[in-house]
Amino acid sequence: MKRRGRGIACMWYPIGFTVAANPSAAVVKINEDGTATVLTGTVETGQGSLTVLGQIAAEELGIATDDVHVVSADTDATPMDTGAIASRTTYVTGNAIRLAAEKAKLILFEVAAPMLGVKPDQLEARDRKIQVKGYPQRNLAIGDVANHAQVVMGQPPLGSASFNPPTVALDPETGQGKPFSTYVYATQIAEVDVDDETGEVEVLRIVASHDCGTAINPMLVEGQVEGGISMGIGFALQEEILFDAAGRQLNPNLTNYIMPTALDMPVIEVDIVKSFDPTGPFGAKGVGEPTSVPTAAAILNAIRDAVGVRITSLPATAEKVLAAIAAKRAQAPKRITAG
Amino acid sequence: MASQFKVAEKRSLLETFREADESLRLPAIAPPVTYPLETLVPQVRQQTPAVGQRATRPDGRLHGLGQTRYIDDLAFPGMLYAKIKRAGVSSARIKSIDTREAEAMPGVMAVLTGREIPVNSFGPSLKDQPVLADTLVFHAGDGVAAVAALTEQIALEALDKIKVEYEIMPAVYDPVEAMKDDAHKVHGPNSNIYARKVIRKGDIEKGFAASDHIFEGRFSTQMVEHVPLEPHATIAQWDANGRVTIHSTLGRITLGRADVARTLKLPISRIRIVATIVGGNFGGKNEITQEPVLALLSKKTGRPVKGTFTRTEEFIATTTRHPIIMDFKTGVTKDGKILARKVRLVLDGGAYCSWSETTLGKACILSAGPYNIDNLLAEAFVVYTNKTMTGAMRGFGAPQVCFAYESQMDDIAAALNIDPLDIRLLNAFEEGSPSPTGQVLHSVVLKDSLLQAAQRFGWKEPQQ
Repeated sequence: MKRRGRGIACMWYPIGFTVAANPSAAVVKINEDGTATVLTGTVETGQGSLTVLGQIAAEELGIATDDVHVVSADTDATPMDTGAIASRTTYVTGNAIRLAAEKAKLILFEVAAPMLGVKPDQLEARDRKIQVKGYPQRNLAIGDVANHAQVVMGQPPLGSASFNPPTVALDPETGQGKPFSTYVYATQIAEVDVDDETGEVEVLRIVASHDCGTAINPMLVEGQVEGGISMGIGFALQEEILFDAAGRQLNPNLTNYIMPTALDMPVIEVDIVKSFDPTGPFGAKGVGEPTSVPTAAAILNAIRDAVGVRITSLPATAEKVLAAIAAKRAQAPKRITAG
Repeated sequence: MASQFKVAEKRSLLETFREADESLRLPAIAPPVTYPLETLVPQVRQQTPAVGQRATRPDGRLHGLGQTRYIDDLAFPGMLYAKIKRAGVSSARIKSIDTREAEAMPGVMAVLTGREIPVNSFGPSLKDQPVLADTLVFHAGDGVAAVAALTEQIALEALDKIKVEYEIMPAVYDPVEAMKDDAHKVHGPNSNIYARKVIRKGDIEKGFAASDHIFEGRFSTQMVEHVPLEPHATIAQWDANGRVTIHSTLGRITLGRADVARTLKLPISRIRIVATIVGGNFGGKNEITQEPVLALLSKKTGRPVKGTFTRTEEFIATTTRHPIIMDFKTGVTKDGKILARKVRLVLDGGAYCSWSETTLGKACILSAGPYNIDNLLAEAFVVYTNKTMTGAMRGFGAPQVCFAYESQMDDIAAALNIDPLDIRLLNAFEEGSPSPTGQVLHSVVLKDSLLQAAQRFGWKEPQQ
């Protein structure tokens, strides 16, 4: 019969690499109409990073997401970047873009200050306007200022910057140091059904509560969490590269290497934990990798809760679970009912 | 009850998806399209402030219409197709490679072997991986020769005509066996252990002595693939000025360019890498694979050369996730407070280092879990075996150690009759907690995440 179980797992995960230099650079150009173009050497690998990076530039310039176009991933045209790896894009590349956008914005402030009769440091960029702090009714459209800067003043508003997270090398003997600038935290809780006659595990529901600092785009965070959970389910229950005795892979194809499909996906409920990291762009950290970290642990704990067996080697295939259930029953003292 | 309702809801939702999918199937030939000047832009993309908006993606429309151009969708005039011959043996000395028959085939424009590659080695930290194996084969997925031909079919046929003579050598596949002194040395001469890491904090012997209970367990994980939808694909074009333009599915073009420059012995300024949109990375596209091979085939033929990995090559010739054997010994008080932990990790590195050093470091540091543990000793080793190389993959060792530390946490909770949520809250990091490396942690919201998830799940509600 099917037995229901639940399991919890939490985790911590760093943003960026272990102690190596981990820089990103960026260029931000404000166009004559007040829209902007961002140049970045990172690569969109499907996660929506270019959307998030555009939102970061837009936030700094006080314009909307759609006003920013992001150009990426061409070594001739875009600045150096350590790349789409290690959950670093939002934090490291995002910081570089924010700093570059700030430099471009300061050129607009210098141009706008005499037009508004104030000093540049009295200005702010909001709602597609350059306005006087505390007197938002005194403002100029950002497009008018950008055009004036380019066409009249001859000061094209653009900025470039780079960011490298501060780290301290680890002591080789004790491992003490500061390998990463910051970490994120998360909890996932899984609810599963385990069929104690077949060993089959069905993941019914996963509740995921993830910290990513400020969620620059909550929808994309949710997407990352859902994708990470699908990888975590495959890691927990299905996927395994098998080798023959001569070291050749036995199942290098999608017929025999079993991985989750949409039909294997449970109900997923995502919460983004309220958090703000002062070292990240607008408080953001990252979320890419951590989403698949606690899934397998939560599912394996749920299997234990359901049928009382601890599977210690992944994946927990039906065969493995069934063998563990059988071993447990063999160990249990036999009850002989009288009569 | 709520969850049962959710499951029923999910099933009907999936049925709706299936129906929608059927009705949305694109015709084989796209109908003619005229684009409007003004495209529909969702309001959420036009709002300020931009941060916090659930902004839709600008590439979403192109993906939805099937108009995103991946590398394999691109074609250049005169483009050739490349294929790489895989060794199929996991440990061997290459005695000879005879390419004459393949070169004589009509439609074959060039053949390349490892000896023709100016610097035939690469790797993110250790340069231990040949671009094409020239003298030794270290795992069955190693490339030994490449062909550029007018069509993919001709290139594949030509691979069969290339004759490679191997002298089979001893091999080692089990990481624990590989650590023994008398094991076959994959890269010789001294040891298969090519990196180690240690984190030492407090005094574990004192910690264990003070503990009421000690729990020991061994956990292990398997090798898995990233399986991105888009396989590795590259187009290389060598031009008359000696500049190479490489369209590639690389996720890290700045370092990829430096690696290509090194293998080709070219100044970096003569290499351009364009990555366009990559159809899934998950760590599998963090280093070069066939880029130098295709560049040299383009140089030999004066024509653009495209190579797209088959799904099998994705499995056998690109990096995978490290299997790890994990021994955890944890001492706790009778209340469930962790006093000491000793961790030993053995990572199966496969044939090459790749991103093993980063994986080793993260696995070692993270193995303590997000818990305050005053006395800790974590040791990790990564060893060569004659298997597919392991490298970067979403989480760099973290999913493996999380499986171990969280499994043991529940075993401890069950033995001491403590709620799994409560034992985690008791030990969890807080703002200002010191990490295992002595770093003072900031913006720590672990307890918030535990409580939020428990609340959402209904953890404390009575179970049926």
